[in-house]
Amino acid sequence: MAIAANVEYRVNYFIDAVAQPTVTAVIEILLWVGIFRTAGHATIGGFGLQDYLAYVLWGAFFARIAASWMYEFRMIEEIDSGSVNGLLVRPMSFYEYYLSQLLGYKFITTAVSFLIPLGVGAALGWNIHYDRLPTAVLLVFFYLILVHSISFVVATCAFFLNRIYALTVAKNLALWTLTGELIPLDLMPEPFRGWLLILPFPSGVFVPVGYLTGRVGLETVNQGFLSVAVSLILVNALGLVMWKRGLRSYSGTGA
Amino acid sequence: MLSKYFKLYTAFFRASLTADLEYRANFATRIITDIFWYLAQIIAFEVLYRHTEKIGSWNVEQTRVFLGVLFVVDALYMIFISENLDRFSEKIRKGELDLLLAKPVNSQFMVSLQRANTAIIGNLLMGTSWLVWSLVHLPDFSWVRLLWLSFLIPCGLVVTYSCRFFFSAMAVIFTKSENLQFMWYQIYKLGMRPDSIYVPWIRIVLMTVFPVAMVASVPARSLVEEPQPALFVWSLVVSGILLYLSNRFWRLCLKFYSSASS
Repeated sequence: MAIAANVEYRVNYFIDAVAQPTVTAVIEILLWVGIFRTAGHATIGGFGLQDYLAYVLWGAFFARIAASWMYEFRMIEEIDSGSVNGLLVRPMSFYEYYLSQLLGYKFITTAVSFLIPLGVGAALGWNIHYDRLPTAVLLVFFYLILVHSISFVVATCAFFLNRIYALTVAKNLALWTLTGELIPLDLMPEPFRGWLLILPFPSGVFVPVGYLTGRVGLETVNQGFLSVAVSLILVNALGLVMWKRGLRSYSGTGA
Repeated sequence: MLSKYFKLYTAFFRASLTADLEYRANFATRIITDIFWYLAQIIAFEVLYRHTEKIGSWNVEQTRVFLGVLFVVDALYMIFISENLDRFSEKIRKGELDLLLAKPVNSQFMVSLQRANTAIIGNLLMGTSWLVWSLVHLPDFSWVRLLWLSFLIPCGLVVTYSCRFFFSAMAVIFTKSENLQFMWYQIYKLGMRPDSIYVPWIRIVLMTVFPVAMVASVPARSLVEEPQPALFVWSLVVSGILLYLSNRFWRLCLKFYSSASS
């Protein structure tokens, strides 16, 4: 259902799955080429230009998979406008309904959009460990469930506060930095680098892309799985409490 | 004519301020949100400068000035325009555009400036403070150069508005175009880096086809480098052309518009 619903708007789908991550990757590649062109060093932070190009190309595509703007806005809108009433009577929870929508959409996005870094990486002969791709994709989808759970918590705030869209923006901006999409986290100075890697957020971009490009090893990936699992328990527990409290205070506006 | 629009805009601004103060939590969150954005930009460059002396032709002090200009232009854009164009696609789907088109004022004015985001005034103060701080730490800076900003920042704002408006107006044609709006942000990101990092042909594109270099790079150049009058005149010309073209494009889009309201 999610696949059919999203493919219906082909221009939108094409932009989300292909054009947007491609443009992001091109911009980041330009930045890194510019940095290396003027820096006068062969390596920065122990890695060469090709390592950074591979990182930003794959990072842009992983970041698209690991983000959930659209469905979070929709969840907030449902609660804010009262149209959540229609979902409450379905034999599926609000959380599950949107998770299935999100995962369905991300599966088709991944299937199409990953052809680009795969093709570019192979054509340019970048040092990518393709045998690690399944594990990296698995981690990012596991992280996506956490992202959805966080979105669910943000959406439940709409029961208590009006106009909470800014929370979504704030959260996504924070994740932009914390996932490693903005800048590879291993460039960060200590102790920030160490602190950031303990958090679950690098599992969205830095850890899977770092694993693919050889910046990090399997132990960091395992730590990522563990960190996301623990966070899932905590965030979902919070989400459950907020959902129940929210429903108690909800007056069914828009029914 | 101008005074009518000025009075109208003053009324819009006052109404927006009243509405924003009603949702105080949102007011505070918007400020916090942009602090995250400022921090992300600052962290990115500060971390990079830990590993290299120069990016493009600028050192860390000069890049801080660039960021200050970027924050100020961005805050102005967020205050006056962003809120209107961000939800433009939704307005079309819900048929709200019909109401705006029926008003006895310029429809582009209505769709672009009806709502001000007054919560961002705090961000403008923060951006300005960062700019002043970075200028204080810039060696041999002549404060007279700030006069250049009196027209380069408005030019940057007009360029940002016009480019963004092209993408927003496409919602009239495509109806569901949220991702098209994200494309704008990707192009805007090119302007969020100093233009000197790009190879010459890309810089030409960023000065002409997608002139996002006018947003912050050109105004920042007026502060950290010797003035380049030809470049500043070009900034003025480009902003004028883009504003005119945005109006022509809006008229064209309206020919595709079919009302969504019942």
